[in-house]
Amino acid sequence: MISCRNLTRRFGDFTAVNNLTLEVGAGAICAFLGPNGAGKSTTVKMLTGLLPATSGEASVAGLNPASNALELKRRIGVLPEDLGLFDDLTVEEHLLLTGDIYGVPRAETHARTTQLLHALSLEHGRRTFAAACSHGMRKKTAFAMALLPNPRVLFLDEPFEAVDPVTAKIMRELLQSVARHGVTVFLTSHILSMVERIATQIVMIRKGQMVWNSSVTELPQSLEDHYFDLVETPVVEELEWLGPSRS
Amino acid sequence: MARAVTLLRALATAYKRDWTALQSLAGNNFFLLTALLLQRAGVFVYLIAGLVMLFPLSTDPLRKIPPSRLPLWPLSRREWWLLRIASPWINPMTWGIAALAIWGAGRTLTFQLWAMIAGLFLAAFLISSLPLPRGGGFFRRVPNFPGPLNQLMRKNLREILATLDFYCALILSAAMLAFRIFGPPMPREALMAMTVLVVGALSSYAQCLFGLDGDGGLSRYRLLPVRGWQLLLAKDIAFLAALIPLLLPLAPIAGLGGALMALAVGHAPTVGRPQEQSRWRFTTGGALGNGITQMIAIAMTVSGIFSTSLWFLPLAVVVWIGSVWWYGRAL
Repeated sequence: MISCRNLTRRFGDFTAVNNLTLEVGAGAICAFLGPNGAGKSTTVKMLTGLLPATSGEASVAGLNPASNALELKRRIGVLPEDLGLFDDLTVEEHLLLTGDIYGVPRAETHARTTQLLHALSLEHGRRTFAAACSHGMRKKTAFAMALLPNPRVLFLDEPFEAVDPVTAKIMRELLQSVARHGVTVFLTSHILSMVERIATQIVMIRKGQMVWNSSVTELPQSLEDHYFDLVETPVVEELEWLGPSRS
Repeated sequence: MARAVTLLRALATAYKRDWTALQSLAGNNFFLLTALLLQRAGVFVYLIAGLVMLFPLSTDPLRKIPPSRLPLWPLSRREWWLLRIASPWINPMTWGIAALAIWGAGRTLTFQLWAMIAGLFLAAFLISSLPLPRGGGFFRRVPNFPGPLNQLMRKNLREILATLDFYCALILSAAMLAFRIFGPPMPREALMAMTVLVVGALSSYAQCLFGLDGDGGLSRYRLLPVRGWQLLLAKDIAFLAALIPLLLPLAPIAGLGGALMALAVGHAPTVGRPQEQSRWRFTTGGALGNGITQMIAIAMTVSGIFSTSLWFLPLAVVVWIGSVWWYGRAL
């Protein structure tokens, strides 16, 4: 469902993504991990047709993102990093907009909107404007927008960040459910404990280079330990001035 | 004491950086038009603009501090009161009101004058305590439009209703309506001039149609499976929906032609040099050349339809459709 060969993106002299080769099958939940600035968002932008690759090939839901961007957008759902919400639309209006734009029949849009608002505990805020929503509500709205058109591939940038534990569990189960029905999920996250529970495939990237790609069962140790070994080892420095006994 | 002074200094810096209300006037077609062409007659329209501007300019500087932050700072009661009393004087509006009051009273300070200054100061302060419209509210109840772009058009209409340009045009239109009902008969030329002025008041917004969408909105546009011309069309229909009711007491057909030309010319800076705008401010247009071209196109089209022939309207429609198609490709 997602396939790329030697995908590369350069910005001047800086190579953001270098020769990425990857296959993610239908129904897989692929976690794309790496520190900030590793090239995750650039990869997602290339796969969703928002950014052309400097070189290499990609195919998403059977389409080339570079040449079929409009058709591709109809087949995928995206939860972008900045959530992509309009301040002047309410939570409910965002979902109705999505249904209209993606060609979902009006009655079906209303039914799906009601179900999604209920499932994500957004019913109380359905008439709240995005500008007045909490970050968690905004995240859930953007997540619901990605699901509503029933896409073949879901791209989710940090879906579990800033949501409460109950909602995180609901989102996780929704994603596992859609994956069981053949939807491919491609997500980035820094919450490794959540990734370990949900992902079927783990891909790690560091400085634009892929450093690991396997199924979750093939990890030699816990995901967190493996991530620290391969991607970035945390270094904790003592701050000498912290503490009531110090001035 | 030092803490309060530090805070006041930070507030003054924040206020200086946010002084967009006056900056925006420089690039606004309406103000350019009144300043260049109307001269003495412009006093009336400047008064209207002044009235519209009073609302955002009279905000309390302390409101610049995030409400969750202020109570967390370790300020003593004395420091808090110092901040409360001194902060309004960071707002140039306070000094303006005081200066105006002194000037208005023949530069003699009397007890009544002090009372008047205090009254004006209090009025500005009370206005500042009114919350800026954000959440629901009457002005956000906009009609539905037919077709799949409905919610986009409703959003676009709400954005226009959050600019001061619209309220400036609204006051002008309402004043004309009152004049036509209660005043003496109006010369035809005056009707045409007022139509140009009302279209001109909103025309700067036509140069930055995506200015209030924010980063999130722009990122969503890129994800939606819609073509560029559809995005422009949704913007334009909302613009016309806001403007046409204001043209009804004037010359609506001629005004419609002028509005279409304002949009046709405005698409170039909208797409080519997108400019972020602030809510509850006047819109800052693109380059001066764009503003002048736009105003000439509006004036010629309105005058052509009003004085010469209705055939100028289909011409304006063709130019507008061509502009939507051409600039839509670039989105």
